[in-house]
Amino acid sequence: MGKSSSVKYYVYLILTIVLLSIIIPAYPNIFQPEDSIINQQKPGKPGNSIGSQKITRSGDSLLNKQKPGKPGKSISSQQKITKPGDSLLNKQKPGKPGDSISNQQNITKPGDSLTNNQKPGKPGDSISQQNITRSGDSLISKQKEAQKNDSSFYKKTTFFTEDLIRGERLFYGLAYPKEKSINCAGCHNIRTSDTLNWNPDALEISGKYLHKSAIDLCVVLLKPMGKKLSQVHKGFELTAEDISLIKAYMDKFVNTGLKPAKPVITNLLLLIISSVLFLLSTIDLIVKRIFKQQKINWAILSITGVLITWILAVNAIAFGRSRGFSPDQPIKFSHAVHAGQNKIDCIYCHYSARSSRTSGIPPGNVCMNCHLLVRTGTRSGVTEINKVVSAYESRTAVKWIRIYKLPDFVFFSHAQHVTAGGIDCETCHGNVKEMNRLTQIPNLAMGWCIHCHDTRKVNLSNEYYKTYYSGFYDTLKTGKIDSVSVAAIGGRDCGKCHY
Amino acid sequence: MKKHRKNIESERSKDRDNNSEETFNEETPLSDLLGDYNKDSTSSRRDFLKLCGFSFAVSALASCRSKISKVVPWVIAPEEITPGEALYYASSYVNGSDYCSILVKTRDGRPIKIEGNPESGITKGGTSARVQASVLDLYDVGRFKAPSKDGKSLDWNQIDEEITGELNKIVLEGGTIALLTPSVFSPSTEAVIEGFLKKFKGSEWIQYDAVSYSAMLEANKITYGRQVIPDYRFDIADLIISFGADFLGTWLSPVEYARQFSSRRDPDLSMNHLVQLESNLSLTGSNADNRILIKPSQEDAILLNIYKEIIKAVENRDIDVPVSPVDVSGISKKLLSSQGRSIVISGSNVKRIQLLVNEINRILGNVGRTILFDSYLRTHNAIDAQMESFVRKMQEGRINALLIWNVNPIYTWHNKEAFREGISKVGLTISLSGTPDETNNLVRFVCPDSHYLESWNDAEAKKDLFSLMQPAINPIFDTRQMTDSLLKWTGSKVKFYDFISNYWVKNLMQRQTEFSDPVAFFDHTLQKGIFEPVVTSKRTEGQMDGVHNLPFDPLSVKGATNPEERSVEVVLYETVAIGEGRQANNPWLQELPDPVSRICWDNYASVSPLQAKENDLHDGDMINLGGVELPVHIQPGQAYGTIGIALGYGRKICGKVGTGTGVDVWPLVTAIDNILYTRQLGKMIKTGKIYSFAQTQTHHSMEGRAFVREAGLSEYRKDQKAGNELHTFYTERNKSLYKDRVYPHHHWGMAIDLNKCTGCATCVIACQAENNVPVVGREEVHRVHEMQWMRIDRYYTGNDDNPGVVFQPVLCQHCQNAPCENVCPVAATNHSSEGLNQMIYNRCFGTRYCNNNCPYKVRRFNWFNYTAAGTLSGNLRDKEGMTGDLRRMVLNPDVTIRAQGVIEKCSFCIQRIQAAKLKAKNENRSLLKDEVQSACAQSCPANAIVFGDMNDKDSKLSRLISSGRRYNLLEELFTRPSVNYLTKISDKLL
Repeated sequence: MGKSSSVKYYVYLILTIVLLSIIIPAYPNIFQPEDSIINQQKPGKPGNSIGSQKITRSGDSLLNKQKPGKPGKSISSQQKITKPGDSLLNKQKPGKPGDSISNQQNITKPGDSLTNNQKPGKPGDSISQQNITRSGDSLISKQKEAQKNDSSFYKKTTFFTEDLIRGERLFYGLAYPKEKSINCAGCHNIRTSDTLNWNPDALEISGKYLHKSAIDLCVVLLKPMGKKLSQVHKGFELTAEDISLIKAYMDKFVNTGLKPAKPVITNLLLLIISSVLFLLSTIDLIVKRIFKQQKINWAILSITGVLITWILAVNAIAFGRSRGFSPDQPIKFSHAVHAGQNKIDCIYCHYSARSSRTSGIPPGNVCMNCHLLVRTGTRSGVTEINKVVSAYESRTAVKWIRIYKLPDFVFFSHAQHVTAGGIDCETCHGNVKEMNRLTQIPNLAMGWCIHCHDTRKVNLSNEYYKTYYSGFYDTLKTGKIDSVSVAAIGGRDCGKCHY
Repeated sequence: MKKHRKNIESERSKDRDNNSEETFNEETPLSDLLGDYNKDSTSSRRDFLKLCGFSFAVSALASCRSKISKVVPWVIAPEEITPGEALYYASSYVNGSDYCSILVKTRDGRPIKIEGNPESGITKGGTSARVQASVLDLYDVGRFKAPSKDGKSLDWNQIDEEITGELNKIVLEGGTIALLTPSVFSPSTEAVIEGFLKKFKGSEWIQYDAVSYSAMLEANKITYGRQVIPDYRFDIADLIISFGADFLGTWLSPVEYARQFSSRRDPDLSMNHLVQLESNLSLTGSNADNRILIKPSQEDAILLNIYKEIIKAVENRDIDVPVSPVDVSGISKKLLSSQGRSIVISGSNVKRIQLLVNEINRILGNVGRTILFDSYLRTHNAIDAQMESFVRKMQEGRINALLIWNVNPIYTWHNKEAFREGISKVGLTISLSGTPDETNNLVRFVCPDSHYLESWNDAEAKKDLFSLMQPAINPIFDTRQMTDSLLKWTGSKVKFYDFISNYWVKNLMQRQTEFSDPVAFFDHTLQKGIFEPVVTSKRTEGQMDGVHNLPFDPLSVKGATNPEERSVEVVLYETVAIGEGRQANNPWLQELPDPVSRICWDNYASVSPLQAKENDLHDGDMINLGGVELPVHIQPGQAYGTIGIALGYGRKICGKVGTGTGVDVWPLVTAIDNILYTRQLGKMIKTGKIYSFAQTQTHHSMEGRAFVREAGLSEYRKDQKAGNELHTFYTERNKSLYKDRVYPHHHWGMAIDLNKCTGCATCVIACQAENNVPVVGREEVHRVHEMQWMRIDRYYTGNDDNPGVVFQPVLCQHCQNAPCENVCPVAATNHSSEGLNQMIYNRCFGTRYCNNNCPYKVRRFNWFNYTAAGTLSGNLRDKEGMTGDLRRMVLNPDVTIRAQGVIEKCSFCIQRIQAAKLKAKNENRSLLKDEVQSACAQSCPANAIVFGDMNDKDSKLSRLISSGRRYNLLEELFTRPSVNYLTKISDKLL
């Protein structure tokens, strides 16, 4: 083996790796296995990465006024998603254009985004900020005894990066010795995850307190009102400075959203390794011939070739489909609690599934049938149920994120499947009774539909079928055939779903 | 079989085709891929390929992104609304004098489609193109959005305060308040207006109809002693003699009359006979058994001669009359042989002509038999003289306040300058109309009325036949019903809804015996939409109670101006779609081709072929007529020496769509005693300019092929298959090597009775509304890119001067041997197990092979992004604003919005088939009789289209298909369509 050729060999190798490391991170999600996405929020799909941030951000800004009878909702709502930080909980007008502009400007200037009161020149913003700080002033006197430190910290508006780092350390409970430390992140998520954690996440809290003073946060942290909150927030010792730093740290979530869950890289690694191996043995086969036994190269080529094709094919098929889509909803609604533990029938809430094409999202008054009395959840406390109640009382609609969605050119009727077809909800929607956070189970591809149409047996006892499909009905009675599939009665006609 | 000849125009255009290459210079869509209709764009093949590559990349990326969408449930769900399910409200369509009893289909709170109310005793479930299109007017961004004063928006409280103050001041000072409305036939609106007049002493109410029937009302007052328009019964009459009255298209109550007329066009029963004497080739004239061309100035003489012959025969009197320009002995003889079973009508607004008509009807004994007064028509009440004197009063400054509602005299009144001068002298001017127009541009206060789909009202279109109007949606803009405004200004605290329910309980409840509870009565009536109490008729045959029927000498009344031998006579008419111009801002109606000329987006001067030859005129030449410049259309069947022009076009203030579309010819209207829609003019002057029409049919001949098969009634009586011999011939000859595919479960099909079809084009609009068919605009229609799934082919037969006219609605034929299906490379169009030819938009990638291979040319291609459903930007062609958020609310959510680059076509309303089947399954039953109705079949006022399951042997469809008249279009091609036609049987008596 000549020296120059071995150098060439390494150059090839390095080039390949560099190339792959450039290409692959650009589309990291492609190489994730479908199932790994299930519990994440579609983290890095191209074109989606922005979207998902917007979703989590808008998680707090849900209570927009409903405009009944106005389609085109989807358009306007999507526009609304892009407005970060319009927290409705503090009753600011959600759709104010001025707000969104100023916030977007905040994004462009990284330092600015951390604080609120930085832009005294902005008319809408600064006024509201001043109002808030003024109302905070009255609280200061009450809180004075509780504070050992200078309460002027609460008015602090400029923070340096080191302040923020300290804020982060405080949030993680790393700033003080172990016995004194409070780990906020232990209860309040900073990453997207399953809502089994019933505590509000960092984003939610930050959205709530973005336009409020650190004083309000101080009240909740040190002298909480609610029963549950006073239990868990017991014995907190934080200075005014600590609290304002924690708030400053949390404020950035409004702009950045929660951190995406750590990606699973097994498939990606597998792809990289097999690609490298594939290339190496190709080069060896053509140029170098290190191995005496060329059969080894052929073996490596075939194994890695199959692997690469398989990974690419699986991901290409899943591309653009939202199987496993499981976003954070504006309210941490658990199907496991409602349909599972409390055994509420699906049709009770999704009542229009029997007669209409859509299953329907239950209106506020249906929620209130129970939540008129049920005001405390065993795990979520009052926080989540309060959202429902206040939305109902203020006559604003909750904007849920749609999970099961078919393209416009597909006509799907729940009534056909639920009532006429007699199919259980679980057949398509999976075991919803065990899902805290609803997840899309099927990929909703046409193959999935057709498969069911091909295999499912039709109950021909309906008078309609007896009249028009009497041929099948009679043969079935004679026992010549044991079942009639949906496809046999026209379930494979294109025009059954596409018109 | 009749020989069908082509006409001059098509021959001429063929010559043109051969002589010049102009016809082939249709802009390729390619050239404006890069620019907006840029003729100078020099896109090369390389550019095209670049663009292809780019668009592929963009669309590939765009399709990968999954959008996050939200679902917003109700906070408190209304009990009656289930998301995704249609909800119908019974209501009434009222626009000026147009009336129809309707059902409004709403989805998730927004009206999306109008259906006829089959329970109505007037329209009986029929609709018209205008009624079908009215739902789009609701979503017109051009409507007034808020009340305003001097152009500045105010809120209702402020405006009410100011107006009430000023009105009261005027009354205190002894001034006059005038209320100008169209004919009002709503009893409770009348009551509100009466209350208004009572409150403001010295105020007056003027009813003004732009298209006036004043002469008829005045003549009836003289002849019958009642100033009303009688109830014409075209279903009883065996013989109809019509002088220019387009009763199937626009005259008085066309929906009602079309149904009555068509009910007598069944050759197996006794057929009626229609003789039309007219100048323009109207829709009614196209359907006439005999059509006689006359000039409007000759009408008087012809009627006099008929009158003379009839009184000679019946009363044995002789009178001296001028010589008739046409031979009337045939008509007179027919009339005399069907005494008491005929109707003579005239569309003229000259009192003497109407008196003559009345007298002829009286002598023939038609009054009380075919012309009734029990349930007379209330939709037209305006007397021209009242308006005339009112305008004079305004000019003299004797009117202090003017309230205008829903009329547009600055556009329609014959003396615009007088009105303009008058209105400038009125201190307080208030408009109550809902849409901006030329007149309310001049007023101080605009208090916009709500759309009829947002309003409460009632209607009594015919005496004792009541119907209710109810809102199907809350007002979209800050508008308020005109009646509510009047109530408010009168100082009343009641809302109009309470007023109307009180009125009904007080005045109408006692006329029924079903309900004792007022609430139950009102709610039940509201649900049905109509209230038609049983009226015991006091008439015996031929005798009318309260109608005097004494002989009267019509000759004692001064006739119209003596016919002078001038060059041309202009005959102004209303089109089926646009009418007098109220709905000019409706893109569906503007794009609806005229039933006869097949031109859309324009009006034009119809000239007879002979006259065109004499004056060296060609299609599209611009002429000047009495100061109005407009293009010429050579119209076979136009009377020589007359020019027909449609009113209602050329609006100046109207909205995005209607403004500047066509030419305003209202200035040609004159008045002598009554408004005259005919006028003699010196000469037409050719200007030398050339105009090009957007015409959806440019070839008018069947070229000897039997698309429409015709036979005479006597031949039909002898042999049911008369005129349809080819059907037997081809059925026996056409054989297939393949085994027949069977459709054992359902086999959907259609039958179109060409004898009943009047060509009114209601089905075209109904289809457009149901199936989200896009509007493409004038330029695109001009480039033959129109999208309507249903077209009505019109062919001329016989000679060009007075041709026969046949209409043939053509839609996808759903062939069992479909030529389109074989050529699609991706199987995007294929056959279903129920016999439907399916079109799968998401699979189609636009080769247009199917379009090429379709012998019926019913497939439409989305050349551009007409619907904003496409992913590529920059290709949107939406000149008419149809893709705006508000306009899109009219879309049917059950039908896909097609994107650019796909073929679409009639689906047999598969969404309705599926919905009906699903309903049956969920209710565990088989389909009801004729339960599935396509949109076209449901809307047809003539019941000419019948849709159904061909496997159902009891259905109406099966009965029609087994008729000897049944044939298929182009059967020689053996495509075996599921759409069947029935031969046209006419009865030429003269």
